[in-house]
Amino acid sequence: METLHYEYQGNKPLERRAHVGVVASGDLEILFEPSDDLSTKVKIRTGSEGFAEIWKKVLDRFFAMNDVAARIEINDFGATPGVVSMRLAQALEVSRDHENNEK
Amino acid sequence: MKITKNSFIELNGRERAYAVLDKGTFRELLGPFDRMKSPHLEPQGIVPENDDGIIVARGTIDGESAVVISIEGCFQGGGIGEVSGAKIAGAFELALRDNENGTKTRPVLLFNTGGVRLQEANYGLLSIAEICAAVVALRQYVPVVGVIPGMIGSFGGMSITAGLFSTLIITREGRLGLNGPEVIEQEAGVEEFDSRDRKLIYQTIGGTQRHAAGFVDVLAEDESDEITQAVQAAFERGLQAAPRSSQVNRYLKLLKAVNPSKPFGPEDLRALWKKAEGSNAEIDAHQSTSATSTEANHTSKNRGRKWFEALTGIANPTKSDVPSVLSADGTLGNERVRYIAVVPNPKNRFPRARGGEVGLEEGWSIAKFVRDAIEEDHDGSRRAIVAIVDTPSQAYGYKEELLGIHQSCAGAADAYAAARLAGHPVIALIVGNAISGAFLSHGLQSNRILALNDEGVNVQAMSKESAARVTRRTIDELEEATKKVPAMAYDIRSFATLGALHELIDGVNADDPREKDIKVIVDKLLGAIADTRSGSNDLQNRLTSYEACHGGRLASIDVREKLKDQWN
Repeated sequence: METLHYEYQGNKPLERRAHVGVVASGDLEILFEPSDDLSTKVKIRTGSEGFAEIWKKVLDRFFAMNDVAARIEINDFGATPGVVSMRLAQALEVSRDHENNEK
Repeated sequence: MKITKNSFIELNGRERAYAVLDKGTFRELLGPFDRMKSPHLEPQGIVPENDDGIIVARGTIDGESAVVISIEGCFQGGGIGEVSGAKIAGAFELALRDNENGTKTRPVLLFNTGGVRLQEANYGLLSIAEICAAVVALRQYVPVVGVIPGMIGSFGGMSITAGLFSTLIITREGRLGLNGPEVIEQEAGVEEFDSRDRKLIYQTIGGTQRHAAGFVDVLAEDESDEITQAVQAAFERGLQAAPRSSQVNRYLKLLKAVNPSKPFGPEDLRALWKKAEGSNAEIDAHQSTSATSTEANHTSKNRGRKWFEALTGIANPTKSDVPSVLSADGTLGNERVRYIAVVPNPKNRFPRARGGEVGLEEGWSIAKFVRDAIEEDHDGSRRAIVAIVDTPSQAYGYKEELLGIHQSCAGAADAYAAARLAGHPVIALIVGNAISGAFLSHGLQSNRILALNDEGVNVQAMSKESAARVTRRTIDELEEATKKVPAMAYDIRSFATLGALHELIDGVNADDPREKDIKVIVDKLLGAIADTRSGSNDLQNRLTSYEACHGGRLASIDVREKLKDQWN
């Protein structure tokens, strides 16, 4: 297991927190929470070591497309980059979709 | 093939809890943002999850106060560790408090678990014992309803827990068994059970068979609405007269009709069960000449038998149909005591239980001896019950699973819990091995646990070979992990640091008890009985001991406090 940290700048504060996913084989758990400032700090725990560069590429791409300031925690059990991107998008969607979040 | 419209199985753990609660009432306790993770996984290099795989949700069912606990099977196989176990036990304990105070909070558990989380081993065993204790207490007030939707099912200690429930709902895809197929294959060989034969597995422990053989109450389609309605209906029916785990004579009689040396399959069991349901007197006992032999040659004397003889002064107690379970009454000071021990019987008619394992007949026989004492003392003072513990494991075998060894273990656990709740001081004395399902059945429901401080005294959830196979680690890796997590260690001194022991007893000859050794143990037993008589009849003392509060059970305590804060 290794722990990775990344930081990004964001201008749009997150509206409300969101939780998606499960730490299951090939999947991951993501927590989005509002941050205190206009920065985004990402903390990743992953069971698959040695993929820091790929994580950076996936996150770079996500934040290039989505301007958001949030505190993000990821617990990963070997999700592929495609699954990670999908879960990140889902977490953002849930944080914006009040009804879904309060289901 | 039928296409399901709204599959329940395909829902994740959280969505399952939404589905069972009335629409719009779901409120999660200790959810992911509370970050109540397991503290024991990261030190072993395992990624934790923020809810530790358990969703506890308050809300209503049919308008009545309810708590639904859902196990996320995709995280660590739904395994029960310290935090996940405390979330389940703590939620049931609070539901019990509600019911004691007149609020009929309805408890539901959505199973999807392999049992004890082997990375937290003895924490899992302790937690499951606490869950069992809460279920038995709760069941006096309100039905405790369980759903086994699949795809994992319910295994290990959690199958014993399931065996205690008032109502069990299963789907065809659900499975219910004590020992998982891989573990039986590892322990007993591929001839006993082929873990790759899925058809065999489902025919033995799958939902359809379990329903036909009476081990579950409702066989439901994998439809979300159908399962939700089945849960509501279970509460509408109200309290059942005799939970399955208390039907001792019925199951002992059923087992008597089976000849274990002959082939016996799922259809045979269905026929036998149907016959048993139709008429109580119709089952013919299978006659076995070797079964009643109580001969114990000296070489086969294990510590359990030696200590039973030492404490009771009786070498061959009352003739029993099941010679591997010894029981005798004695007196200690002013206390009347019933002693119970499980011992090897090389001629046991069930071959997989010849080494002193808790097998099918052993579990139910323990239950019988305990329940007889409850019945006999109904109007008078409650005698103490001492479980002498030295059991290598539960019995691993095909017939064991088919005939419901989980239910047999639940029968024993239920009886000890019932005795404790009725006011009998129940004391476990660990003189040798206290292992897994055998310990859950015989020892872990006690008010107080005493253990000899000796190299030959061990507590564990699974043998190293099986644990390595299930967790896909080498034995070396397991041993390395054990250094970081004392709950994974087998020795009694490591177990003592978890705080569940009333006393770890030094300086006693465990293998060859002499007069002075017996005197020490008699004093300790009397002390434990007196302590019990002045205390509560639940298992709270395991969480209030010095060791528990100073490191051993910190997460278990924390989870319970936070659940309490968020309950209403």
